Amino acid sequence: MPEHKCDCENPLVPGIVEVIDIKDETPDVKSFFVRSVDGGVPFNVMPGQLGMVSLMPVGEGMYSVSWQEEQEYLQFAIKRVGLMTDELHRIEVGQKLGVRGPYGNGFPVEECKGRDMLFIAGGIGLAPLRSFIKYCFKHRRDYGRIQIIYGSRSYNDLCFKDELFDKWPREQDTEVYTTIDNPEAAWDGHVGFVPAYLEEISPSPEGKIAVVCGPPIMIKFVLQSLEKMGYGDEQVISTLEMRMKCGIGKCGRCNVGSEYICLDGPVFTLAQLKKLPPEW
Amino acid sequence: MQILSKSKLNAALDLLSRQAELFVPLARGEESGYYPWKSYQAGSDQLMLDALNVMLPPKGVVFPQTERIYSFTGNDKGVEIKESFENHDPRIIFGIRACDTAALDCFDDVFLTMGYVDSLYAARRENTTIIAHACYRPGDNCFCAAMGIDPTEPTKADVIIRDTGDAYIWESKTDKGDKLTAALSSLLEDREAAAPEMQAFKHQVDYEGVAEKLKDMFEHSIWDELSQTCQTCGICTYVCPSCYCFDIQVKSWGDEGYRFRCYDSCMYPEYTQMAGGHNPRGDSRERFRNRFLHKLEFFKERYGKPLCTGCGRCIVACPAGIDITQIIKQIKEADTSAGA
Repeated sequence: MPEHKCDCENPLVPGIVEVIDIKDETPDVKSFFVRSVDGGVPFNVMPGQLGMVSLMPVGEGMYSVSWQEEQEYLQFAIKRVGLMTDELHRIEVGQKLGVRGPYGNGFPVEECKGRDMLFIAGGIGLAPLRSFIKYCFKHRRDYGRIQIIYGSRSYNDLCFKDELFDKWPREQDTEVYTTIDNPEAAWDGHVGFVPAYLEEISPSPEGKIAVVCGPPIMIKFVLQSLEKMGYGDEQVISTLEMRMKCGIGKCGRCNVGSEYICLDGPVFTLAQLKKLPPEW
Repeated sequence: MQILSKSKLNAALDLLSRQAELFVPLARGEESGYYPWKSYQAGSDQLMLDALNVMLPPKGVVFPQTERIYSFTGNDKGVEIKESFENHDPRIIFGIRACDTAALDCFDDVFLTMGYVDSLYAARRENTTIIAHACYRPGDNCFCAAMGIDPTEPTKADVIIRDTGDAYIWESKTDKGDKLTAALSSLLEDREAAAPEMQAFKHQVDYEGVAEKLKDMFEHSIWDELSQTCQTCGICTYVCPSCYCFDIQVKSWGDEGYRFRCYDSCMYPEYTQMAGGHNPRGDSRERFRNRFLHKLEFFKERYGKPLCTGCGRCIVACPAGIDITQIIKQIKEADTSAGA
């Protein structure tokens, strides 16, 4: 690991950004588009990296950056689940926020070049994967066939619908599979949980990298399904979530075994996950 | 060699206290810990240089229980960071033992290495001078040697003092130590004296191979049994010289406020409680296991040394009588054949 020397700027102090747009993704997920008050992005991120967003005076929370658009903005797709996110969902365009980062290792975008990509997500778990999916489309020739399997509780809860149903299926050599947990009158698509749908589609492991994110229970079942389908431990990548405070591997709480999710993760291969205690 | 006679100790402490904020081990009422010498009250406080371990460790000198990070003003119109705090005050810790300097060694690993330097810690640490007190008579709960520590040669010390009965041998180890030695020159004598003989540890602990054995014991049934009496009160983490986990919180009034950090404890469910309800260490057995694995296995994997320095404070403080040396022993003796 590189040893950063301190120029004695405090890594716990955020930069200030302005919310330039807010978009409703689902009834409880909003995308916040932020730009540094000095112009540009507060920092450059790679797909899968994290940013600590602070709404003063309420609190701070760690979120995956679901996209960086050049030097224009960072996008955070955030689900309303607690005190901080509840307040965040009430802010309006023009609100100033603190942001610090980037944190974490991010997805191995270089190592995946030349491979077919299988993205498997549940619920808000698509937010971190989306940064990698969009990266693949941006560098389309570097990656092979792209398959996206995404499920949610209901149609309303599916995030990024315009991309899911319109933009992504029109990308070259790309298939998007969506599913919802329970039948709905207006839904004529697949109904069922993601792991079962994955086994139904049964994408061949040959030449493929599978990237998984969702609720911990979904991740665990999907990992089992992938193993059953013949995916090797190095072919499967997941991104984990734990409570975080510092983001720099010091405050202690986001450890899984001797690894810190904020610093050594959040992205791990299944081979790495198998060496860690199953405590996530 | 240089000698500080005990008759000149108070004069030396007064002098050091004029160089920097001086922390000394004191018994104060029901408590004992490292307090500023300038707050010493001759009637009610007692200097505890002979005691093996005052109850509260000296970690607060470099890592205060609460510490402001930055202040801000903020509302729906705008947000401004007003001040980013850093404390560069010079300070001296006097009389710290080898277990506690070894714990500072662990703190240095956490806060100064592995990707990021924690600037708040770095500023305090850089301006701290350590006058360590070599131990020759291990206490009832001491087991530092079992954790790889030589109690007679405290690491990270700028000066080491050794008790000869009526005086201390004064050994400067670093440039910082030399500066203090120069400041104290009028009180130091140049004569020979013998350091005491090292006495045997009363508490025999064998940590050899424990970190390695624990790698295969995450799912072992031993954790059910060991954690049964733990009340997850967190006192072990509070008195521990090497426990460093912290929380970041906010204090605000109107549009103003500041963000600060404060001690946290892995014993509390809130420590890993996520918004939305998921908690990877929601039950006390999981928290208990994580604490001991962190101490005895994970930290060693990451930094090459255990996160326990054998000071014995948690053994005394635990209301349920949980004894880390007994845990080490039971791990050593545990059956790890399949199905255990």
